[in-house]
Amino acid sequence: MTDTEAFVKTLPNDIGGLPAGPIQRVEHDLEPWEKRCHALADVLDFHKIINTEEKRRGVEALGSELIGKLTYYERWIVTFANILFQKQLLTPEELARKMDEVAARRSP
Amino acid sequence: MSAHDHDHDHDHAPIQAGDQPPGYYEIMETAVRELLVEKGMIKAGEIRRQIEVLDSRNPALGAKVVARAWVDPDFRARLLANGRAGCEELGISFYDDTQLIVLENTDKVHNLIVCTLCSCYPRPVLGLPPDRYKLKPYRARAVIEPRAVLAEFGTHIPEDVEIRVSDSTAMVRYLVLPKRPAGTETLSEEELAGLVTRDAMIGVVPVENVAAGGGAA
Repeated sequence: MTDTEAFVKTLPNDIGGLPAGPIQRVEHDLEPWEKRCHALADVLDFHKIINTEEKRRGVEALGSELIGKLTYYERWIVTFANILFQKQLLTPEELARKMDEVAARRSP
Repeated sequence: MSAHDHDHDHDHAPIQAGDQPPGYYEIMETAVRELLVEKGMIKAGEIRRQIEVLDSRNPALGAKVVARAWVDPDFRARLLANGRAGCEELGISFYDDTQLIVLENTDKVHNLIVCTLCSCYPRPVLGLPPDRYKLKPYRARAVIEPRAVLAEFGTHIPEDVEIRVSDSTAMVRYLVLPKRPAGTETLSEEELAGLVTRDAMIGVVPVENVAAGGGAA
């Protein structure tokens, strides 16, 4: 789809103290899928499947280039998928098949 | 497949305003969630319940805590000793394992909270953070030039007041207890809570006595 889908790099997300531009006074209401993604993060934490620190490190492991291109919850869902693969709880093939199924379901 | 599979569960909000198909990452979210449910690792109902929990959290909860601390010195002492226990006293449950440290602003110290690594935030008492809290400029600059950051919010802290910046972690979150504005002696606890904004509890602005027609200096 987009070039963001192809990257896997590891660069730290530790940006405290770096120079940066003015504070962006932006706000947006979460999209329904973003809110579901947030709830999924909490439920994964409750079940000790993926905790907050694993999630944070997983986002870091996306690398700064991809971190910069994805939105906040895009980073989270890609990270969850990666961690679930690493823990052998899901396989990439299972996810690919399910994503095809979900995409087909919604296009009449 | 799973029990909830027939037509899934987002009646609470229309999924798309128009006929725009779901994006790649939304499809990924749905697929990951459904696979985990099918494998029995999570339940669809848990996601729904957690969405309700998230929707129930907003800065009014934190404002209630602040107002109580202003009017009840014993509560303030307990809150400063253990932020989580203090909030729980007021019926605010913590749905996660995080601890809460409440930082009191005084005439000598102004507190500001940030999460440089990501977006850790006292969600049980404030709800979800504003986008700017999660974006690079705030995270990068708050720890190195807090006065300049505060100035962008129109907040000017005198030079003889120390600014303390607290960097949140996955396990330890912070909440600022702002200074009670002058001229609020006659206000009720509820009226006081009405003055306390989200941004004041992050430390980027003071609490203003709006009833008095704007904050006196």
